[in-house]
Amino acid sequence: METYKVSPFLDPGSLTTPDTLSIVHLSRDNIQPVYLQDTTGAVNGYAEGAVINTRFGSFPHSTLINKPWGSQIRASIVDTGSRGRKRKLEAIAADIAAEDTPDDGTGEDASSAGPTKDVKTAASGFIHILPPTPEVWTTSLPHRTQVVYTPDYSYILHRIRARPGMHIIEAGAGSGSFTHASARAVYNGYPTNGGEKKGKVWSFEFNEDRYKKMQEEIKSHLLEGLVQITHRDVYNDGFLVDGESPEADCVFLDLPAPWRALPHLSRRRPTPSQLASAGLEPLNGEESEWKSPLRSDRSVYICTFSPCIEQVTKTIDTMRRLGWMEIEMVEVAHRRINVMRERIGYNMPTERGANQSAGNVEEAVARLKEVERRFKEFNKGRPGATDANMDEDEEMLDEGDLVNGNASRVREAEGLEDTPSTKPWMVGRLIHRTEAEIKTHTSYLVFAILPQEWSEEQEAAAYETWPCGKESKVIGSLNKEARKQEKREMLEGKKRKKGPGGNKADGNHDSDQKNI
Amino acid sequence: MHSLVEPNAWIALKLPSGNTRILQIIPNTTVSLGKYGSFPSNLIIHRPYHLTYELQDKKPPETFNRLRIVPAAELYSDILSSSDSSNSPDEATPAPDGDDADIPLPTGVEYTLVDPESGAVVATTDRAELNAEARQTLTMEEIEELKKDATDAGKDLIAKLMLSHTAIDQKTEYSLAKYKLLKTRKYIRRFSVLPLDVAQLDYWLLEDKDPAKILDMREEMVALLGCWANVHFGGEDHCDSESPNEEGIESVPNPKQTPGRWLVVDDTGGLLVAAMAERMGILYPVKSKHLLEGPQRPRSPKARRREPPVQPIMTTTTDSHVPTHPAHQPIVAEDNPDVEPESQENDLSKPRSPQASRKPLGEAKQRSNDLQIPYAHANTLTVIHPNSQPNLSFLRYYDFDITNPTHTPTHPLTRHLMTLSWLQLLEPQLDSTYSSEAPNATPEELRSWKANRRGTYHRKRRRWARTHHVIDSARGGGFSGLVVSSTMDPISVMRHCVPLLAGGAPIAIYSQAIEPLTALADCYSIARRGAWVASPPGELAGCSLEEQEHWAGNDEFPLNPALVLGASIQTSRVRRWQVLPGRTHPLMTSKGGAEGYVFTGWRVKPAEGKVEARGKKRSKKRKVEEGQTQGQGEGGK
Repeated sequence: METYKVSPFLDPGSLTTPDTLSIVHLSRDNIQPVYLQDTTGAVNGYAEGAVINTRFGSFPHSTLINKPWGSQIRASIVDTGSRGRKRKLEAIAADIAAEDTPDDGTGEDASSAGPTKDVKTAASGFIHILPPTPEVWTTSLPHRTQVVYTPDYSYILHRIRARPGMHIIEAGAGSGSFTHASARAVYNGYPTNGGEKKGKVWSFEFNEDRYKKMQEEIKSHLLEGLVQITHRDVYNDGFLVDGESPEADCVFLDLPAPWRALPHLSRRRPTPSQLASAGLEPLNGEESEWKSPLRSDRSVYICTFSPCIEQVTKTIDTMRRLGWMEIEMVEVAHRRINVMRERIGYNMPTERGANQSAGNVEEAVARLKEVERRFKEFNKGRPGATDANMDEDEEMLDEGDLVNGNASRVREAEGLEDTPSTKPWMVGRLIHRTEAEIKTHTSYLVFAILPQEWSEEQEAAAYETWPCGKESKVIGSLNKEARKQEKREMLEGKKRKKGPGGNKADGNHDSDQKNI
Repeated sequence: MHSLVEPNAWIALKLPSGNTRILQIIPNTTVSLGKYGSFPSNLIIHRPYHLTYELQDKKPPETFNRLRIVPAAELYSDILSSSDSSNSPDEATPAPDGDDADIPLPTGVEYTLVDPESGAVVATTDRAELNAEARQTLTMEEIEELKKDATDAGKDLIAKLMLSHTAIDQKTEYSLAKYKLLKTRKYIRRFSVLPLDVAQLDYWLLEDKDPAKILDMREEMVALLGCWANVHFGGEDHCDSESPNEEGIESVPNPKQTPGRWLVVDDTGGLLVAAMAERMGILYPVKSKHLLEGPQRPRSPKARRREPPVQPIMTTTTDSHVPTHPAHQPIVAEDNPDVEPESQENDLSKPRSPQASRKPLGEAKQRSNDLQIPYAHANTLTVIHPNSQPNLSFLRYYDFDITNPTHTPTHPLTRHLMTLSWLQLLEPQLDSTYSSEAPNATPEELRSWKANRRGTYHRKRRRWARTHHVIDSARGGGFSGLVVSSTMDPISVMRHCVPLLAGGAPIAIYSQAIEPLTALADCYSIARRGAWVASPPGELAGCSLEEQEHWAGNDEFPLNPALVLGASIQTSRVRRWQVLPGRTHPLMTSKGGAEGYVFTGWRVKPAEGKVEARGKKRSKKRKVEEGQTQGQGEGGK
């Protein structure tokens, strides 16, 4: 049997290695998956070998390989401009057979033959290189279908008890976010020669393009042996793989009509009346012996993922008819929260995000007074304003202004003096708010459990090994009387232990107790 | 795992009222369900999980109630018949799949009193709903009397109640269903058996027990923490720590070669540790072979009962360091039938000191080499605790007692769970065990000692080796991830934990309230990161990256902002729905309390020296923004 290389999703090692998936982190919402290539010589016209170009500069792969995960990598000076020009020119050259390419034709020769060019650090920026996890992979996914995002899949995997060693059926692989997350959840080692049963994801996909894409992904992510994807219409053809049962412990259905797949997930063949009552067609292969894709000696957990309520009612109705228990439907509301500093006040630094309005009533009043004072000063010299009463008022106002206005001016001065000592990133009140756009609805999640079958014979056998009628003690909820009795007995037992007499004394002791 | 109910297993019983009850199923006892009745525990041992049982009437001369498995068709008969009946009269044009609604369904006999009427009742839908209690002709005494000699699992009583309700024909279809549901929840003698896994334990602690004890940590939060911290099976041990060649104390393994080590700070009494252990596959005791192979053929209770405790064998091989094969270790029976169920519930929060509890049987068991490390190197959890002993009491539901791990030598947590206090992590020289020399005695001395003194000596030596290993490996760092659910200030936790993480390791912190997390996120704000790059604090001039990582922080930079990337906060809440034919809507009420938030980020390694990040000039239009991009590197977000 083949030996498996461990997927970077499961154990990335401590350094980045060539030919494995890495994640280039540009910003929270700008994450790029990259297969690092250890190339010598020019690639794509780059003298440095394979290069990642971002808005923070260019990063030759050679600067990213054999670095500890999480490393901050500076951009390098890469000649991106002349490459494009050169190509264009080459094309032109081919067309008109012009001989004098203006740029360094020699340089190209050198690079394609010799070792990769040494790179110089550029000042344009940096990136971080992270090991892949299902979470970052999900964030970086190209949208092929609706993606099952982390808040949903984390909860689903928790609820359907996808634990190391389990076998999980996933129908509708879609973009593969759930596939990666479930592979991590059930992983307890790659299959070995010993034939020991290891955790596995049995994935099914109807769309051929997506199936092919997923197959490539599984291979390049080194998940072979852990994930087996089958190109299948599960509504009609069920979940057996090569005629064998996946022996699934848990099931996740991300299908448009999960109720049509449900009859295949039964412990024995659904009766025609069961199917008819749920409005389903009879299953194919009526004659052949029924083989259940479910594990027989354990309860099986299921989750279906449907965006519409009509799908949910139909699914649950079918589940009830097929004997699923503990049926529950939920929806997950997830919010990301932005944390920021709210800067409001007249003395805030004039920069983006600061709100130059009054921060509190005192500030507003001080500013108003200041305005008023200036207004008065402006009007002082004007005729007609000189009235004995007015003068008096003004004097009083001046006094008051002197107190308050000065105070506010002092505060402002302090504020100005403060600025150098209090750093701009510490100014303002710390606040949080939900991000600008939220996913208000992803899908409804229906959970259910199918208990294992339990026959009369099994019951009889269990009853024989565990006969009843010799119960010594009551556990669970007791009535008051019973609790009291228990406590009395417990205390008595303690006393007996402490008591000086041995076992013989017990009888006396008991009777003593009763007498008291 | 959770195939059949094992004797002495912890299980959850779900009652008709919706409450769950946690019990240890001890063989040969009577399980009481309070007002719903009682039954012998042996009737659910070695039976499957998730079955719904009904208490049958006593059949004299038997003194106990037998159980009947209620088939799904019977459980759902009401809902399914209502969906079928509501489908057919309402639909003028039958829907493509609606015409099979008249196919008779297996309806329970006990409902014949009501069911035929239900069609007629639909006609009176516009009548006002009436107060149910006022129209009940049965008096309290009569109901009590009926309850006493109720037969047929209470269905009899429910039917009588419905019949003697004078206004039953005035009820709408929905209020009738509601009335019946109400009475059923109150009187039906049914229950179902659920496995006590982490999800169930969390649900029970949250709904029925004490949510404050687990910091109101809902299932969705536990799930988010586990995923964002990337907690999963971390691989087998590369170096076999039990290799018999090993002599003396093992060196701390190179952290670079030991994947799957997670750092945990847990103030939820062990729920978080249990959840992470479940994700890593080390929570449930490994079952003995015969149970895996033939669950249908259980051993007889007599055989299952605890074998007489293995007598501690004092061998002299210990002192001469001659290793014996670990397989020779006697296996101490792991389940103790004497454990009292539901007792000392209140003691859960209090950590019990090992001195207070009785000396375990396994303690005297001889290890070939006292200084051999009893811990695995991969797939481990390291818990840092604020008190001198960790509080992981909820692990007892998984047959693991942290105060006496030697009690359960076969439990995976024994080898994969390490605990140390903050003092041991930060100032190990102040820890008395760590700072002392390993007790050493010559073989002659040993032989001259009495047996129990010798026992103490070996125990001390083992403890010394354990403590050294745990502290040294934790301080060595290189952890694959950090999970925190704590009441402590997350900034202080991060200050000491971040340097211990390997590059690229994920961080996930849960908090009941958002304020501690916003303060933490603010330490990594774009402005602060930019300022750090532009002008790092003067005291760090000339410091190596290593020293910068362990920097204690100051007012302006409480934490080194260059060590964490992608700091963000999220929250998630699950809303439950009722799905019934024609009556689908979210549940009217649910639990409030702490909302709960999760902080996530990655540990990164900053480049040496000054990093410039000017951004890239793209067009003249964007030139205005240039100043803002300066020093951010992380982009404008």
